[in-house]
Amino acid sequence: MSEQTAGRLAVRRDEGTHMLDRLRALLRGRNLAVLALILLLAFLTVYPLSMLLYGSLHSTPPGTAGSFNLEGYRQIMTAHNAVVLLNTIGISFAKTIPSLVVAIFLAWIIARTDTPCRGVLEVMITLPFFVPPILTAMAWGMLGNLQVGLINQTWKAITGSETSPINVYSYGGVIWHMSQYTTTFLFLFLVDAFRAMDPALEEASRMCGASRWTTFRKITLFLLLPVLTSGVMLSFIRGIESFESPLFFGTPAGIKVISTEIYDLITQRAVPEYQSATALSFVILGLMLLLVVWQWTVLRGKSFQTVTGKGFNPGVVRLGAWRWATFAFCLLFFFVTTVLPVGQLAVGSFFQFFGFYGWDMLTLDHYRAVLGDSEFWRATRNTMMLGLVGATATMVLGSIVAYISIRTTWRGRRLIDAMAWLPWMMPGIVLAIGFLWGFAMLPAQIPIYGTVWALFLAYLALGTPVSVRVMSGAYAQLSFDLEECSRVHGATFFQTLTRILVALAWPAFAVGWVLAFFGIMRELSASIMLYTTGSEVLSVVLVKRWVNGLAEEVSVIGLMMMALVIVFRWVQLAVIKRRISTL
Amino acid sequence: MTAVLLENVSRAFGATLAVDRVNLKVEAGEFLTLLGPSGCGKTTTLRMIAGLEQNTTGRITIGNTVVSDADRSIFVAAERRRLGMVFQSYAIWPHMTVFDNVAYPLRIRRRPADEIKQRVMRTLDLVEMQKYAERPAPALSGGQQQRVAIARALVFEPEVLLLDEPLSNLDARLRTQTGDEFRKLQKRLGITSLYVTHDQEEAMALSDRVVVMEGGKILQVGSPEEIYQRPGSRSVAAFFGSPNLLDAEVTASQPADAGYFRLDVAGRNWRGHCQAASRISPGTRVGVLVRPECIALTARDATADADSIRWDGRVKEMIFRGSRRSIAVETAAQVLRVEAPSQQPVAVGDSVTLTTSARTAWAIES
Ligand SMILES: Nc1ncnc2c1ncn2[C@@H]1O[C@H](COP(=O)(O)OP(=O)(O)OP(=O)(O)O)[C@@H](O)[C@H]1O
Ligand SMILES: [Mg+2]
Repeated sequence: MSEQTAGRLAVRRDEGTHMLDRLRALLRGRNLAVLALILLLAFLTVYPLSMLLYGSLHSTPPGTAGSFNLEGYRQIMTAHNAVVLLNTIGISFAKTIPSLVVAIFLAWIIARTDTPCRGVLEVMITLPFFVPPILTAMAWGMLGNLQVGLINQTWKAITGSETSPINVYSYGGVIWHMSQYTTTFLFLFLVDAFRAMDPALEEASRMCGASRWTTFRKITLFLLLPVLTSGVMLSFIRGIESFESPLFFGTPAGIKVISTEIYDLITQRAVPEYQSATALSFVILGLMLLLVVWQWTVLRGKSFQTVTGKGFNPGVVRLGAWRWATFAFCLLFFFVTTVLPVGQLAVGSFFQFFGFYGWDMLTLDHYRAVLGDSEFWRATRNTMMLGLVGATATMVLGSIVAYISIRTTWRGRRLIDAMAWLPWMMPGIVLAIGFLWGFAMLPAQIPIYGTVWALFLAYLALGTPVSVRVMSGAYAQLSFDLEECSRVHGATFFQTLTRILVALAWPAFAVGWVLAFFGIMRELSASIMLYTTGSEVLSVVLVKRWVNGLAEEVSVIGLMMMALVIVFRWVQLAVIKRRISTL
Repeated sequence: MTAVLLENVSRAFGATLAVDRVNLKVEAGEFLTLLGPSGCGKTTTLRMIAGLEQNTTGRITIGNTVVSDADRSIFVAAERRRLGMVFQSYAIWPHMTVFDNVAYPLRIRRRPADEIKQRVMRTLDLVEMQKYAERPAPALSGGQQQRVAIARALVFEPEVLLLDEPLSNLDARLRTQTGDEFRKLQKRLGITSLYVTHDQEEAMALSDRVVVMEGGKILQVGSPEEIYQRPGSRSVAAFFGSPNLLDAEVTASQPADAGYFRLDVAGRNWRGHCQAASRISPGTRVGVLVRPECIALTARDATADADSIRWDGRVKEMIFRGSRRSIAVETAAQVLRVEAPSQQPVAVGDSVTLTTSARTAWAIES
């Protein structure tokens, strides 16, 4: 062997070991990254959950010495709590049914009829989905007020009667308020399903001699059944978690559900009853787990893939003169769910006293009061900061988790996916209590409680399941070829990730970002448990003022938030043209 | 008896005229095919007959009933026209079994249960799907779904069966087989069928008559042979295969048998006879259609008989296709395409003589 050859071989071997080293380093780097992600997710989801368990067995409030016992569970075994449980389930069920009927009707009108201006109507119908429920709750609290509510006043003025027909502080009020949101939510679910259905399936039925109505009952509804079922279940699950409606309309009338009962145990007692509140949180978690398992078993393998033929979508029903009736119905829905509450806020903000409307009562004082208030500005700053940073962080985390669980075969991806999904069945208030315990257990060098970071972490945990879903949907639609093609053409893994995947998935990212932002802006139940002076957010400020009877200033703040919602929604529609996701 | 009659039927979608004043008569028991390129209005025509689309002008009659008349605002809804229809996507309802799918039209008509059972099983037997009756519909192959769709359309014995590209989702081999089976069934039952396709071979093989459409208009109606061998226009000719169309001038014209005319034509460096649909005065320029498979290819200087046309040329391209050879021959007139038997020994560059019988040459007025 000549020296030259030996030298060349040595170089070759050297290169080989280099490559191996680089590969190993890369693998190590990846494992480290995955490990870091697992730790982060564990801190966001598993940690608060285990702290809940700890807290439910611990006799004293977070951060103080105490003993372990089953007192908490013993305390919640009361007849009162049985009623609370029944209320929770009953209200959730009762609001789902009417919402479903209206949502099917609206979705059918928008997707399947020649009703005029369907595009605009669709935007109007879906608006309530984006409005924080706390705003409409307060507006309806004013509208339906027994003595001075606009609706009751109008009724009395028209009929001359002395009795008020509407009292929103009742079961009816709770259900009514929940239904507005649920209807829109179900509508978003259904309208795309209606659109995706192959119209030939219905036309075939008509060719067999079935009338439109028979076709609707025997074919359309059955084809929609899988979507309907999952929509109803989601609506039910969200109903169990619901906080604003029972807080505003139920609590004053003595109607309690689990979430408000937990809230009361901690905030409305002379001594906060942490142990039983935490135990009660476990009850709601158990309930949610049952529902989710039920959802899985019912929906497994139940999706009718409808093969769409080629060509135009001719499934539009010509309604003739009736299309003005359907048009009016959509407008009415918009009027009741949006115009009426927003109008109330607008009216309320300009009059001296809520309920007394005369020309001499007009004033801008409330605007002055609100704009001159440092707490308001602080809350606005906090909300905007948390919204921008929180939504971005949520989407980045969601994108990474979705990528790993959908696009790779790395070890640990199942675990990552499962942990990110965990908050899905944790109502905000429950997660917040878990964090309360969790923050108190951290070493004193990490002071999270009392800062906005407490809220940030809660929002991040609550938003992640949705962001993961949005991004998985986007990734799943991109074919593997695109990615592999880029790799074959010499791009590295990270180049591929940024150039191809991010470039193609950004619309979904943007849609998810806006959803996450809205989610943070409307969040109340976790915020109200975790805020401290200095880290208030707008929704908390609203509740504080509402409780102090400052309905006029509430109107001012509410109106501003409403304006923000509309601007964002408009930007979303204009920039990300018509990519409304269904969550 | 006339089963379906279209008089001046049009359909406009906004500014586009999808179907433009179509007149068509479908005889009872006939298998009629609507054929044409994509977007020419076949589906729209079929859907107007079905009642799934409303015609903007004209009148549609099924049997003795006017089902749609734009001028008198008559419109009978699809479900009351008693037609059977097979959709391109089959439209088999996924939430029902095969039996339920086929029984649906009878259940809608509230027939007694035992009659339903009997008729459904008989129809399933007809399409050889009896043993799948209890299968859920999604668990069927494409070909089986197609049979179920036909059974569902046949079960209530409609007067007319409408089919919109029913075979286009099947693979090539299954397509011919199912097509032939369906044609047999249709003949046996004598059911009037209106069939839409853009596949010319399918149209040829199945139909009694073919309607060629383009741009919403009917170009020609006739038997498959007629349409193929004696097209009325260049577009119809060009729609089937890739024919040779030679420029020529008419020198004489005289009546021949079967109502056709015999023309004397002269092209660049060739002359001969051909047939035409009408008398064409001498001096007119025509296109002479010669199908590639009707041209015989021989070595140079073979003597041709008097009744054939002859061109001399040189082989320019040759593609061996197994069952035949596709050859392009450069002649003084133009490049001619020839389909020759595959065992014929030809090589690029050979000098050859092409001949065709005057009976197969057909003149088209430009
Ligand atoms: N609902 C509709 N709205 C607007 N234009 C339509 C509609 N349906 C059909 N058209 C137009 O009418 C013309 C004819 O369409 P049609 O579906 O009848 O074509 P086709 O012959 O069936 O084509 P293909 O072979 O592709 O199925 C096309 O130009 C199409 O663009
Ligand atoms: Mg078509």
